[in-house]
Amino acid sequence: MYSGAPSGGIAIGGGGGGRGRGGGRTWPSTTSVSTSGKRIQKEMTELSMEAPPDCAAGPKGDNIYHWVATLFGPPGTPYKGGIFFLDITFPSDYPFKPPKVVFKTRIYHCNVDPSGNVSLDILTENWSPALTISKVLLALRSMFTNPETFPLLADKPVVPGIAHLYLGDKAKHDEIAAQWTLRFAR
Amino acid sequence: MVSDSIVNVSIPVASSNPRDFGKKKRVNRAAKLKQCKLDARREQWLSQGKNKGSKQELNGGGGACEQGMQVTNEKGQLMEKLAIKPRGEAEENGGYTNTYSDFDSPSNSPTSHTSSVLEGNYSGTNFTGGSSSSSSSSSGGFSSSGGCCSVSMSEEDNEGDDDCLDDWEAVADALAATDKEQERHNSSLDSAPEVHMSFQQEVSDGKVPAMDTSQQNPKGRGTIPGFPVSFQAWRPDDEFRPQSLPNLSKQYTFPMNSGRHYRGGSVWGCKSAAIPTSCPICCEDLDFTDTSFLPCPCGFRLCLFCHKKILEEDGRCPACRKQYKHDTVGGETTKDAGGLMFQVARSCSMISRS
Repeated sequence: MYSGAPSGGIAIGGGGGGRGRGGGRTWPSTTSVSTSGKRIQKEMTELSMEAPPDCAAGPKGDNIYHWVATLFGPPGTPYKGGIFFLDITFPSDYPFKPPKVVFKTRIYHCNVDPSGNVSLDILTENWSPALTISKVLLALRSMFTNPETFPLLADKPVVPGIAHLYLGDKAKHDEIAAQWTLRFAR
Repeated sequence: MVSDSIVNVSIPVASSNPRDFGKKKRVNRAAKLKQCKLDARREQWLSQGKNKGSKQELNGGGGACEQGMQVTNEKGQLMEKLAIKPRGEAEENGGYTNTYSDFDSPSNSPTSHTSSVLEGNYSGTNFTGGSSSSSSSSSGGFSSSGGCCSVSMSEEDNEGDDDCLDDWEAVADALAATDKEQERHNSSLDSAPEVHMSFQQEVSDGKVPAMDTSQQNPKGRGTIPGFPVSFQAWRPDDEFRPQSLPNLSKQYTFPMNSGRHYRGGSVWGCKSAAIPTSCPICCEDLDFTDTSFLPCPCGFRLCLFCHKKILEEDGRCPACRKQYKHDTVGGETTKDAGGLMFQVARSCSMISRS
């Protein structure tokens, strides 16, 4: 995984925990290779200052191109009480290409395929270099409450069955989702 | 006796007059009205008049009135307003005046008006005898008020010039006259109006009051006790300073305003400087070229490198997702867009700094 990330000047001091603790750290001046590094480090600082509600994210280890994010199932949804871990991998040309977000925790959601890939428009064709991980996390969180059932019908890592169930029998869908949450996300 | 003293006094006055002339040539309606009143009074007075002195006064008076009008023009209006209040004092003066009136009354009333204007060379002289010394000392500042008080005022003018009272001060005072609070301050001014009143009511007595005013003035002039501030413009911190007065207050506030402007300017400066601080995409500092680079009408700014990279890929603006036009527009953005950008850029910069 790390191969995709540029190697220059990326090491995070005291790399424990992976929480967005990098606030006060100064990174060695980066070369052109690490423009993405600077951007990521800045986002890390931003997240450490104010993270979106029910969200947390930070580098997984020494490599700032590999993050771990945590989402808490928002109340009022079948995912309430669940803790969902995600892997976020930044491409080497990160701001210009979207980060890759994968659910590491199993979740019954029409926008998350069995392998954890997320179908979110802003993570694919609607990605913008102006978007940040913070905004991505917000989008993921809103995805819990409002699954995107419509655009999913295209060729995306969606689970059509779940989408149909959500549209047809939301109660049952929620029941299953709650069961999954209880089973995998706690 | 009186005449001698008057003459002495009058001469200096005359010298001062021409200058005032040059300064104030405008004629106000109020001044004209005053003139008319004065003329009427003068005629009355003349009818009563005894001496040749009166004739002299007439001659001088006519000229004086006109000239005097000029002087009074600026302040005359205010003075008239003030005139109402002064009465009480005028009456007091009246007491004095009566005593004096015998001598002066003929010359005083008509002359005084005229003389005040002219600075009362001739007519003033008659008058001044007693008052001149005192008045001269007292009145210092207000030449303008003089229109009414003729003698005392004229004398005042002379000395006032010496005191280096400037036009602006006089104007400020005149403006201040509008406010009632002034009454105290502008005792001299008030006194002048009083004179008018007295004249209107009592011809002969009216003249005398002028004398009285002059006497009062000296006391006030003594400065502090009686009439503290009368001759000078208000200080910014003066309690009685009328709010309507623009002068110093404006000057004082100006720096404030300018400061605000400066802030505004600084905001703009920040904007122009802050937007550029760093590229929202790559977080690198923007140089001058980048800051003046505005690729999208939405106002989103980014560095040239990032822009080039985006153009190599999908070529859409990161902010509005519209396709970049190939002919990128230079630094001309709508200000709103600029503002938005400013916010974005600033937030980014904040983060980066922290």
